[in-house]
Formats: sequence, C-alpha cells, structure tokens
Amino acid sequence: MATTKRTGGRILGTIILVLVAALSIAGCATPAGDTSGGGAAPPKEPVKIGAVLSLTGSYAGLGAPEKNTLLMEVAAINAAGGVNGRQIELFIEDDATDPAKAQAAAVKLIEQYGVVALIGATGTGQTMGMRGDVDRAGVPQVSVAGGTVITAQFDPLVFQTPWSNSLVVPFTLERLKKDGVAKIALIADSGGFGKDGIDVIKKLAPDYGITVSSEQLFNAGDTDMTSQLTKIKGSGAQAVVMWTAGKEAAIVASNMKQLGMTVPLVGSHGNARREFITGAGPAAEGFTFAAGKVLSPDQYGTGSPEYKVATDFIDRYTKQYGSAPDTFAGHAYDAIHIIANALGTVDEVTPSKLRDAIEQTKGFVGVGGTFTFSPTDHNGMKATDLVTYEVTGGEWTVLK
Amino acid sequence: MGGAWRRHLPAIVSAALAVVVLALPLAVSDRYLLKVFMFVGLNVITVAGLAVLFGLAGQVSLGHAAFVGIGAYACGFLTARAGWPWPAAVVAAVAIAAAGGLALALPTLRLRGHYLGMATLGFSMILGIAFVEAKAITGGNDGLSGIPLPAFGALDLDPATASYLLVWGTAVLVLLLASGIVRGRPGRAMTALHGSEMGAQACGIDPIRVKVTAFTLSAALAGLSGALYALTVGFVSPTSFALETSIILLAMVVLGGTRSLAGPVLAAVLLTLLTYVDAILPGLSKEAVAFLQDWKGDIYGVVIVAVMLFAPAGIAGVARTVRTRLGGSS
Repeated sequence: MATTKRTGGRILGTIILVLVAALSIAGCATPAGDTSGGGAAPPKEPVKIGAVLSLTGSYAGLGAPEKNTLLMEVAAINAAGGVNGRQIELFIEDDATDPAKAQAAAVKLIEQYGVVALIGATGTGQTMGMRGDVDRAGVPQVSVAGGTVITAQFDPLVFQTPWSNSLVVPFTLERLKKDGVAKIALIADSGGFGKDGIDVIKKLAPDYGITVSSEQLFNAGDTDMTSQLTKIKGSGAQAVVMWTAGKEAAIVASNMKQLGMTVPLVGSHGNARREFITGAGPAAEGFTFAAGKVLSPDQYGTGSPEYKVATDFIDRYTKQYGSAPDTFAGHAYDAIHIIANALGTVDEVTPSKLRDAIEQTKGFVGVGGTFTFSPTDHNGMKATDLVTYEVTGGEWTVLK
Repeated sequence: MGGAWRRHLPAIVSAALAVVVLALPLAVSDRYLLKVFMFVGLNVITVAGLAVLFGLAGQVSLGHAAFVGIGAYACGFLTARAGWPWPAAVVAAVAIAAAGGLALALPTLRLRGHYLGMATLGFSMILGIAFVEAKAITGGNDGLSGIPLPAFGALDLDPATASYLLVWGTAVLVLLLASGIVRGRPGRAMTALHGSEMGAQACGIDPIRVKVTAFTLSAALAGLSGALYALTVGFVSPTSFALETSIILLAMVVLGGTRSLAGPVLAAVLLTLLTYVDAILPGLSKEAVAFLQDWKGDIYGVVIVAVMLFAPAGIAGVARTVRTRLGGSS
C-alpha cells in the first residue's frame, strides 16, 4: 500500500515538475521590469495617472516598450514644468496578462491612488476586463490595445490609440480593388489580432467586390505554413492577404517563395516590424502592407509637425533605451500625450472634466497618426493617416 | 472534559473563522482589498473540490481550469445574453460543469496516474480552443462582456461588498459540504480507494462509481467558482482558463496536502495572495512586489518541488505529524 502511494506521488511529482519548469521558462521570457512609478519628486499636488500594462505573462513583450515610453514621456513632461504647473505622477501596475488582475489593478489605481485617468491595458481582454470598474468610477481610460471590440462596443469613457482593424481593413481592400484583385485568400494567426482581422475582412470584402477563396489559420509558434499555402495555391486567389502581428509572418513569406507562388502577399500594420524584413530576407521583397506614416516620417514632409513629433520621439527613445521604438511604444506615446494635452485644457482636474476634454481632442499629432475624437469616434484616426508600404531592397518604401 | 473540548476545537475554530471572514466588509472598506479577498474566495471554492478529488480520492486533474471556464461562460452567457436571473444561471452553470465532468470522468477514470493527468490536460486544451471558437456564446478572443452584477433584491449593497459576500458566503457553504464529505462515508470510501483499490473493492466499494462521483463533484465546484467569477468580474476571456491556471490550482492542493480540507484552503489563500502581496502588505517596497510578481511562476515551482521532496503530504501532513508528536508526548 505504501509503495503504491509513493509511486503515485512520484509520478505526479514528475508531471508537475515538468509542467512547472515549462511554465517558468515561459514566464521568464522577460524577467525585467519593476512597477515603480516615474517622475521627479513632485513639489505639490501632482496629477495622478495610472497605467495597467502587461509586464509579465504572454504580452510582456508589448508591455515593456509601453512602460519605457510612459516613464520617458512623463519624465519629459515633468522636466518641462508639468501640465499647468502641476507635475504628473504615474503609477504603473502589472496585469500579468490576466483580465481579472487588470480589473484589480484598475480598482487599486482608482481607489488607493485616486488616479484621474487610466492608460491601458496592453491587451484587448485586459482592457475589456477593466470596463466595469472604469464605468463605476467614471474615470476615463485610454487603451493601447488594438482589438476592434474596445471602441466598437462603445463606452463614453474608453478611448483607444492603436489602429483598429476596422480602419486598416477597408484601406487595404480599397487598394486591392484598385489593383484589380477580385479573389483573395486569407492566412492569419489564430490569436486575437489575426481572427479579428479575418472577421472584419470577410464582413467588408463584398463591399469591394472581392471574394474570399480560402481561409487558413496558423498558431503562434508554428514553423511551417506550407500546407495552408498549398491549399491557398490551389484556390485560384489573385492575392494572399495575411493578418498577424507575430514573427510567423516571415515564415509565410518564405514558404510562399519556396512553393513558387507568384501572387502578391499583402500584410497589415501588424507587420510594421523590422524583424519581418530580416526574417524573410529576399522573400520579403515586394511585400506590401498598410500602416501609419511613422515608419517613414519623411512622408509627412520634412519640417512638418508630424515629422518633428515622430523623429523626435524615435531619436529620444533610441538614445535612452538603445533600440528604436516599435509600434507599441508609439501607442503608449499617443495615450499619455492625449491625456496630458487634455489636462492642459481643463480648469479643474476631475475625471469627468478630463473625459470631456479628451473627447475634444482635435488634430492631435501623435506617433501613430493624427487624432480627432468625437462623441461617436473614440479611435480618432482616419484612413488618410495610412499609407501603403512596399519592401524593396530590404527597406520600407511608400507606394503612391 | 478536556477531550471533548479538543474534539470540538476544529469546529469552533472553523465557525469563528467563517464569522470573521463574512464580517470582514464591516471593517474593510477598501474595494481593492475586498476584490483581492474575493479572488481568494473563488479559488477556495475550486480548491475545495480538488481537495476531495486529489487529496482524498487520489485522482490527478490537470484540466480543472476548463471547468471553471465552462461555469464562467455558461453563467455569463445566460445572464448577459439570454437574460436569465443570476441565481438560475448559477445553478445551470454548475449543472453544465458537472455534466462536463461526468462526461469526461466516465471514459477516462479507468486511467490512472499520469495517464489520467494527460487525459484531463487534453480535455482542457480542447475546451481552450472551444472557448475561442464558439464565438456566438463566448465572444471568442474579445471575451464575453456586459455581464450584469448580481442584484440582491431589496438589499442595497456596495457592489464590491456584495460580490465579496456572495463569493465568501458560497465558499463557506461549499466548505461545510466538503467537510461533510471528507468526514462522512463518501470520504472514507475515497480514502480507502486511494489506499488500495482492491482492498476497497473487497469492502464493497465500487471504485468507478466513487471516482466518477469525486470527479463530477469537483467539476461542479469548479463550475460554481467560474459562475461566480463571471458574475463578480463581469467579463470572461479565454486566457483566464489556460493550463497555467490548472497548474496553480493543483499547486494549491499539493501544497495543502492530502486527506485534509484546511490544508488546501490555507494553501489557496496563501498562493492567491502571493499574486496580490501588495494588498496585504501595503508597506512592501515596489521593488519587492515586482520581484515577487516576476518570479511568481518560479516560486510556485520551488514550493511544489520542496513539498514533493520534504513533505509529500503537504501542510496537512506536517500538521498531522506535529499533532501526533504532541499527542504522544503528553
């Protein structure tokens, strides 16, 4: 009897050991990051702003640049004298990529620190998880997550800085229509961004006279998309539209070349990353995608305000952190500056006045684009903020 | 007389603890603290079921987060989309989770040890995909939002207090039920089964029936926890019910120990609070909190390894040893 028990215990122990080891490795991907607040020692009555970011868990890679950006920008705003003479005190909480934890973090920031505005969360699920408590407290929230649902399921208190698929998809379809494409095949990751993109494309494609001949999914971490692409190859599509923000995008491009597919590969703003070009190498040539103008600030015209904002941010970030900022850093930049600008216009800092002021944002030049909010539009960007890029000679060039 | 006092001591302590826990909102008005303690209560409900399944019947489940998910989605869908009153939705959610547990238990409980672990792991993986794909019910990756907070008729409570009381009121009832099982005939049958299946059979215990009952019960309690999660958090997302959650739940029972309810409950409290250490120790430096957060997974791991190596029967086992030694010396 004792022996059976011992063996059972050992087996269980081994199972748990292996699984815990696996989880620990996954969790250790980014062990860096402290949740300390930023800003110089405030002289008196600082304005308190809270941020809920994923600094651990599966979105840690997105939360880290967002945190870097918030710390850098709040320090810069404070060094320049703050907003209306008041310093900004920033409180950052980690949501561990968990919606329940994000909600608890929001409650903590609102109740214990008395923040007048919230930035975050990093992920769509975490952003949605905060909503109940945001609504009850009446505190404005500027999310840096990309899910269409955040502003589509409208909440007067919630704003969103990243490009939403509902903006980028019509722009991309319009371009395809102009190029005479009537039949496309879709390939996307099975995660939130890819599935959301596919849903929006399927809904809108008929409006552009485009049919979807094949729809293929892959999982994050997949290393070969040949079988999906073979199905696409036989489907008679005139173009392959890929929707993913993952590193697997480079594999899709490489596999297409290996299969001798000659139809164009069209991506999304999720591919606005240097890793795609380095990863896909020659297969990246001719790849097109829509994104904001930040990849090529010259697009704004040297000397224009947009150009100055983008290059200034890129230069300062690169100097401070040793690498160029990615699009997630840009979303955080836009969030904190939209709030800071709104703060500058209110006579008395209360959450409700701040919310109204944020909604009044007009023509704010950010890194992701130019934001104009309205009582019905809390994403605030227009298709004119987008350009189509093509990869040529290992660089992004703008397609006219 | 002393003996009688001693015999009733656990019951008296439990009752006193229950009163303290339920009266806490009178003393604590910090909603963050109440929310954190509410999360503790949710885990206590699930762990009570796992304590019966693992600690008593000796069955390993690596997929209990999936049952929490079933309960959460069922209750969330029924209240937010189908417009059911919340008590009916909770009952239905528990029934659906129990049915899921039964459906999984019948074919798989002939498996043992790591085979059973693998089967439950596979089940939770399948459900993880189902939670994302069944968009009409679950909302897919966007999650299921708009779940109304439970209303308590004439009682006009602050939502944080109401949620806390709902969760802990249920948890106290669940613990009562579970302790009845642990002490009663079903618990003895499970313990016998865990000790020796053949021996148990010789005593007239039907092993399959006992195992299926234990599994269904634990799935039902996980579903109950999930249903309350949906009502109190108000938002359900597929990421919350992944493998990691199952492992953390299992870590709680392993640390808590076998043949005990108090041990796993204590472990559930401790391990849940580890994530929210800043709530109970507000003086703790931000660096220390960040360190604990970053190394949380590793801390769970080290704890489990240490328990397996040095105290395989967990907190409960250590407590039993101490009690026996004290009893022997007096």
